[in-house]
Amino acid sequence: MNFEAVIGLEIHVEQKTKSKMFSAAPDGFSHEPNTEIAPLDMGYPGTMPVVNKQAVINAIRVANALHMTIDHTLYFDRKNYFYSDLPKGYQITQQNRPIGKNGYVDIEVDGKIKRIRIERIHMEEDTCKQLHFMDYTLLDYNRAGVPLVEIVSLPDIRSGTEAMKYAEAIRNIVVYSGTSDGKMEEGSLRCDTNVSIRPIGQEAFGTKVEIKNINSFKNIEAAIDYEVRRQSELLLSGEPVRQETRRFDEASGRTVLMRVKSDAVDYKYFCEPNITPIKLSDGFVDEAIKTCPELFDAKKERYLKAGLSSTDAEIILAEPKMAAYFEEGAAKVVAAKDFANFLIVEINGYLNKKNETIADLQLKPETLAEIVLLQEKGGLSHKQCADILNKVLEDPSLTPTAAKESLHIVAQVSDSGAIMGFINQALEANPQSIVDFKAGKDRALGFLVGQVMKLSHGKVNPAEASRLLKEELDKR
Amino acid sequence: MNYLDQPLKEIHEALVAKKVTPLELTEEALKRAKENKDNAFELIDEEGAKAFAKTLTEPEKDNPLWGIPYFAKDNFSTKGLETTASSNILVGYVPVYDATVIAKLKEKKAIMLGKTTLDELAMGGTGTTGHKGKTFNPYDPKHEHMIGGSSCGSAAAVASSIVPFALGSDTGDSVRKPASYAGLVGMKPTWGRISRYGLFPFAPSLDHVGYFTRDVYAASVVLDALAGRDPHDSTSSDKPVEKYEEDLAKPIKGMKIAVLKEIVDSITDKELRAHFDKSVEALRKEGAVVDFVSFDRQLLESCYATYIVISCAEATSNDANLDGIKFGPYRGGKTYQEVMYNARTAGFSELIKRRFVIGSYCLMRENQEELFLRAQRNRAKIVEKVNEILKDYDFIYVPAAPGPAPLFTKASDKLSDEYLIADNHLCLGNFAGLPSITLPLCYENGLPIGINFMGRAFEEKKLFQVASAYERLSGLAEASVLDPKEALL
Repeated sequence: MNFEAVIGLEIHVEQKTKSKMFSAAPDGFSHEPNTEIAPLDMGYPGTMPVVNKQAVINAIRVANALHMTIDHTLYFDRKNYFYSDLPKGYQITQQNRPIGKNGYVDIEVDGKIKRIRIERIHMEEDTCKQLHFMDYTLLDYNRAGVPLVEIVSLPDIRSGTEAMKYAEAIRNIVVYSGTSDGKMEEGSLRCDTNVSIRPIGQEAFGTKVEIKNINSFKNIEAAIDYEVRRQSELLLSGEPVRQETRRFDEASGRTVLMRVKSDAVDYKYFCEPNITPIKLSDGFVDEAIKTCPELFDAKKERYLKAGLSSTDAEIILAEPKMAAYFEEGAAKVVAAKDFANFLIVEINGYLNKKNETIADLQLKPETLAEIVLLQEKGGLSHKQCADILNKVLEDPSLTPTAAKESLHIVAQVSDSGAIMGFINQALEANPQSIVDFKAGKDRALGFLVGQVMKLSHGKVNPAEASRLLKEELDKR
Repeated sequence: MNYLDQPLKEIHEALVAKKVTPLELTEEALKRAKENKDNAFELIDEEGAKAFAKTLTEPEKDNPLWGIPYFAKDNFSTKGLETTASSNILVGYVPVYDATVIAKLKEKKAIMLGKTTLDELAMGGTGTTGHKGKTFNPYDPKHEHMIGGSSCGSAAAVASSIVPFALGSDTGDSVRKPASYAGLVGMKPTWGRISRYGLFPFAPSLDHVGYFTRDVYAASVVLDALAGRDPHDSTSSDKPVEKYEEDLAKPIKGMKIAVLKEIVDSITDKELRAHFDKSVEALRKEGAVVDFVSFDRQLLESCYATYIVISCAEATSNDANLDGIKFGPYRGGKTYQEVMYNARTAGFSELIKRRFVIGSYCLMRENQEELFLRAQRNRAKIVEKVNEILKDYDFIYVPAAPGPAPLFTKASDKLSDEYLIADNHLCLGNFAGLPSITLPLCYENGLPIGINFMGRAFEEKKLFQVASAYERLSGLAEASVLDPKEALL
C-alpha cells in the first residue's frame, strides 16, 4: 500500500524587539540569566501588560508577507495552565482573534512552485527557560515575556523536503522583515511538526503525531522522513499509530516518544481584561507594511537582475549581514557579480578558516570594492587582487594600493594592441623561431612567449600573449 | 479634640499655618491605630511613616494632601513592605515596586502609615475572611455587627478618625458598601480614571481603585492626586485630569436624578425608606428633578450571578501565580504539580478555593458558552440599560444597602429580593465602570446607612457636585465614631 504524508507546521518565532511583548525589560541583549526582567515578567502581583508597538508592527509585516488578512483590532486572550515555567500562571496570546488569517506562501520543490496555505499568525509571549538538574530546576526569566509570533500552516505539506522549504521560506520572511534572527539552532525559530499518513486516495486524516525539539532546518526533513517511515511500517504491520508527542533525536536520526497525548488540555481561554481592544488605524497598518525592509524574494530578484546566479544569490542571502555587506560593496563596483565572487570565495574562505562570521569581519565593504575595482579597471588579474585582499586582511592598516605596492604587483597589459606591439618586436628579432615553429617545433612558441614577457617586463598576460602569438604565427 | 478629628481642609490649613506638623499628626494617628480594637491593620509602618514625616518641613499651600497621614488596603503593592492581601499564601511576600497610587501619594507628600485588613484577596463583602479574622465595625463597640468588605480595615480606620482618608479597592461594592456601614464617603471613579498598576487583581474588568473619606471635599482632592494616565496601565485613560473640587459649591438646580424603582421597592426597612424619601424631597427642593425610573427586574436579579461568574473566572487566572514556586510559601512536593497542590491547599481558605472552583468551572470548554460567555453577554445588557437611563438622567440615586451593617451571625437569604436586588446593585457601577459614590444618610440604633449616586463615565466633577449638595442637606459631613453628627434627613 502506498501512503501519503499529511504535514502541518506550527512555527514560533522569537522577535528581536528592543523590549519585551508586554513589559519594558530589554529583550535579548544579555546572556547572563535573570538580568533582563521587569516585575511583570516575573508575574509580580499587580503588574499589568502594555502591548509592545514594534512587536505589532513586526507581526503586521510578517502577516502581509504571508498574504494574510490583517485584523485591524487587536484582541488578546489568556491561556491558563499550571506549569513551573509560566510566571503569571497564564500566557497572554491571541486565541480568538489572531492578527492575521488565511494566507499562503509559495515554495519551490523540484523546480515546481507549490502553495502552502497558512491558517493564522498571532502574537504571544514566551515563557521562562528551564534548566533541569538532577534534583532541582533553575528558571531563567530573561526569556519570559519575549515577544513571539506563531505561524500555523494548514496541512498542505506532503514531504519532509516540502516542510523544510516551507520553514526556510518563513525564516526568510521573519529575518528580512527584521522580526527575528530566525535561528533554529539558537531557538529563535522553533518548529513543531504534526505528521500523519493516509493511504493515497483516502480523504480522512490519519492519527496525528507531534514532533518537537527539532533544532535545524535539515532536521525538519530528517525527522519527518523518519516519522513517515515509522508510521508506514506500523500500519503495514497492522499496528495503529498512537496519538503522541515525540522528539527528534539528532544522534540517532530518529523520533523518540515523549508522551502519549490524552484528551487535549483545556486552557480555559478568556479575553485578557487588562488590555482593552486596540483599534489599529488603516494608516498605522499601511505604514507598517510600507516601511517593511526589503524581503528575501525581492532581494533575490534584484540580485539575479544584477547578474548573479541563483546559487550565488542564495548563498549571499542566507545571512542577512552578508546581504547587507554585498549591497553596500556591490554598489561601488562595475559588476555586482565580481564583488559577489570575492565575497563568496575569498571572504567566505577566510571567515571559515578563522571560524568567524561576516559580523566579525573588520574589512569594510568599500575597501573590498576598491580591490574589486583593481581587477575591473586597474588591469590586475583576479589572482593578483586576491593576493592584495589577503594582504589587507592580514594587515588591516594597509590600503589596497599600499598592499599592491608592497607585493610589487603591476597591472597586466591585456590590451591586444599593446601586446601585439611586443609580439611584433619579438618576431622581428627572432626570425629563426618562426621557421622552427612552422617546422613543428612547439618549444619555439614557449621561447617567443618568454621574449614577449621579457620585452613587456612581465606586464602582459602570458595566456593572452600565447593566444595572440599563435594567431600571428598562423598568419605568417 | 485633635486635628485628626477635623475635616481634611482644616487639617491642611493647620499644617500650612504650622499649628501642627506632619510628624505630630503622624504620631497621633499611629497612637490611635495601635490603640484601635477593630482588627483593622495588617501592618503599621511606624518607623517609615515617622521618618518620612520628619522630612516634611516646608508646607505646600496648594497641596491639600501635604503631610496628611493615610492607610492603604493591603492589596496595594508597597515596595519593601510585606503585602499579604490578608491571605496566608502571601505571608512574607515583600513587593519590589510601589503601586502607582502609592507612588503618586508619596509624590504628594501624603504619609502612608501602613496597610489595612481585607477579606482574603479582596474576595468577599463581610470583612470576616482575612487571615487575621474578623474586622469590626467601630460603630458597634460590642463587636456584633460587621463593617462589610472587602475594604474593611480602611473603612474602620477612617470611621475611627485615625486617618482622614484610606485607599481601598472596589470590584463589586468593596468600598461603597463598607462606606455605607461605616458612615463614610466611599468613592470609586470611572474604570480607567485611576491606574490599577500595583493593585492585586481580583477581577480586572471590574476592579477599581477606590477610597474612603469623611467628606466630599476630601474625596475630590484625593481624586485630584490619584487620577491620570499611567504608562504601566494601558487601560488607564488619557482624558485630562480635572480640578474635581471646583464645582462643589455650585447649585444642582435642573440636574436630573433617576431613582431605580425596583431597588427602592425591595427595601423592607421602613425607617431607611422614610429617610430615603425625605432625601428625595430635599433634593427636589434644591431644584433637582428626581424621577422614579424602572430598570428591569430580571436584569437586576441577574446581577449577582453575573458578578459571581465573571469575577470568579477572572480571579482563578489572576491568582494562578500563587503556586509555591513563583509566589507563596514552599510546602514541599516531589513534582511541580505536588508543590503547587501543597502550596495552594495550605495557602488559600475554603472560601477562596470555592471561588476558584466556580471560576474554573465557568471557564471550562464545555461550560464556557453557557456560563462565562453568557454572563459576559448579560453584563453587556445590564450596561446598556444603565447607559440608557443615564442618557436622560445625570445620576442614578439609590440606597447603598438594604439596612445598617448586619450581624455577624445573620445569614442572608441569597434568593430573597432584598438580597438579590437591594444588597447587590452597587456592582452596576462595576459592570459599567461608572463613577459611583456612597454617602451617609442616617443611623439606626447608632449604626449608619448610606445612599449612592452613580454618574456618567468621566463625569466625576459633576458627581462630586451633587454629592456635595447632598452632603449639605444631610448634615453628616465629617461624621465619625469619634465625632458623631445628627442626620438632618
